[in-house]
Amino acid sequence: MISGSLYACMALGLTIVYGVTHIFNFGHGIVAVSGGYFTWWFLSTTGLGLIPSIALALVCMFVIGLVLYKFTLSPMLKTPNWEFSVIIFLLGLGILWENLLLQAFGPRVKDIPKFFDGRFKIGFVRINHHEIALIVIVILFVIGLNLLLKKTWFGQAMRAVAQDMDGARIVGINLNKTFGYSFALATAVTGFSGVLLATKYYMTPHIGWDWMVKGFVIIVFGGLGSATGAVYAAFILGLAEAIVTLYLGSLWVWPIWFVMFLLILLIRPQGLLGGRTL
Amino acid sequence: MTTGPSASPALQLEGVDSYYGDLQILRQAAFHINEGEVVALFGPNGHGKSTLLKAISGIHPPRAGSIRFMGTEISKAPSDKIVEMGLAYIPEARNLFNEMTVVENLRLGAYNRRARGKMDRNLKLVFELFPRLAERRDQTASTLSGGESRMLAVGRGLMSDARLLLIDEPSIGLSPLMKKTVFGAVRRIKKETDISILIVEQEVDYPLALADRIYLLKKGQVIMERSVGEISKAEIEKAYF
Repeated sequence: MISGSLYACMALGLTIVYGVTHIFNFGHGIVAVSGGYFTWWFLSTTGLGLIPSIALALVCMFVIGLVLYKFTLSPMLKTPNWEFSVIIFLLGLGILWENLLLQAFGPRVKDIPKFFDGRFKIGFVRINHHEIALIVIVILFVIGLNLLLKKTWFGQAMRAVAQDMDGARIVGINLNKTFGYSFALATAVTGFSGVLLATKYYMTPHIGWDWMVKGFVIIVFGGLGSATGAVYAAFILGLAEAIVTLYLGSLWVWPIWFVMFLLILLIRPQGLLGGRTL
Repeated sequence: MTTGPSASPALQLEGVDSYYGDLQILRQAAFHINEGEVVALFGPNGHGKSTLLKAISGIHPPRAGSIRFMGTEISKAPSDKIVEMGLAYIPEARNLFNEMTVVENLRLGAYNRRARGKMDRNLKLVFELFPRLAERRDQTASTLSGGESRMLAVGRGLMSDARLLLIDEPSIGLSPLMKKTVFGAVRRIKKETDISILIVEQEVDYPLALADRIYLLKKGQVIMERSVGEISKAEIEKAYF
């Protein structure tokens, strides 16, 4: 449930980018890690509180996403065969950025303090206040994102572009702008998921690849480009992870995930809710 | 010509060339539409009718030539600016947002800044023209019939608060009854508003009954201009087959 909600948050970032722009972000994991590192850095150097640090980190992520899109991706999208060059570019940039983080902060494990201390008991089960807070935050976050998509002009433009690019141009939506802001939004959302993951687990500059592979499995499981599908998939796989860890040990999480993954690909190659969009 | 000496045409094309890759589709296409006029442009399949509309609306900009809308050169303007100036393109392929509801599709039609303030008024107009859309307002667009989605495409174009509508083959694939409804709506737009309309069609009957003037397009060139009444259906069909 808890890891499911964190994965959902991360997968949403990936889905927004893919759904709107059809860019598959191979630097996704490092984006999440960056969100965590920015927060950690603001927290430990500026003396700001946790929430202002997170907010500041997300603003940074948004701006980085926007700048990255404007000066690198936007010109690349105009070339033929951009799919492949963009994948390699983002992958390379991810590796570069990872090593910069490594240079700057070292390989040691970092974490972000929990939102709430303490725990309570229901029968045998001990539950941290922090974990409840995480679930509530993610639920509110998903609701908020949904409102943004359904109720604002920007959100409607994103959905329009995801569903029919020519249709979007016909009603007067500027594709390039929508791509840029979607990419920036997704960068911030992904960064936020990194922050949450770092409060529950830990982070190093390398952990992003782990997170990213999980994110990929989730969004393909849920159906590429479908936000609802990604959330369902994240909860199903998160739940599977919890059950497997409890009964078989965490070593078995990946094998079981991939068995489930292969099964769904055999039965529904398009994923749970594939073929739908944002 | 019905306009006075000072009035410039709503739309004027001169020497428009358009290509797909190396393939030239439009060759020196030229014509004009006066304000408030309904113009029909006929032509056989594959002779550049849709390309012409895509060139005007900025979806596939032309390689050469001049396109002036309300006196402003738009041949190099991006499509979102052209929509904002009041030119709406209603594609034959419809290009609806299939997973959104009817009313969401219509609201997105009013995406441009000029249209947003007039959204409620225009929505009322569209529902009045197409009561069927009002009945289906919360249905997803993908569940509509062919005729209904054509109505939705026209409605979405109207929502942009357009001064000129470019309608690509409104009758294609529709039952006779649906054709009547769609052209009935176009007739009402002509009567009740001062929007100029360009209808591009293969089928001659309905547009001929509606238009003030007609053009023929063949092999990417505008080869004939007539006022309605100067030409019969048989002559048009003879000209392009």
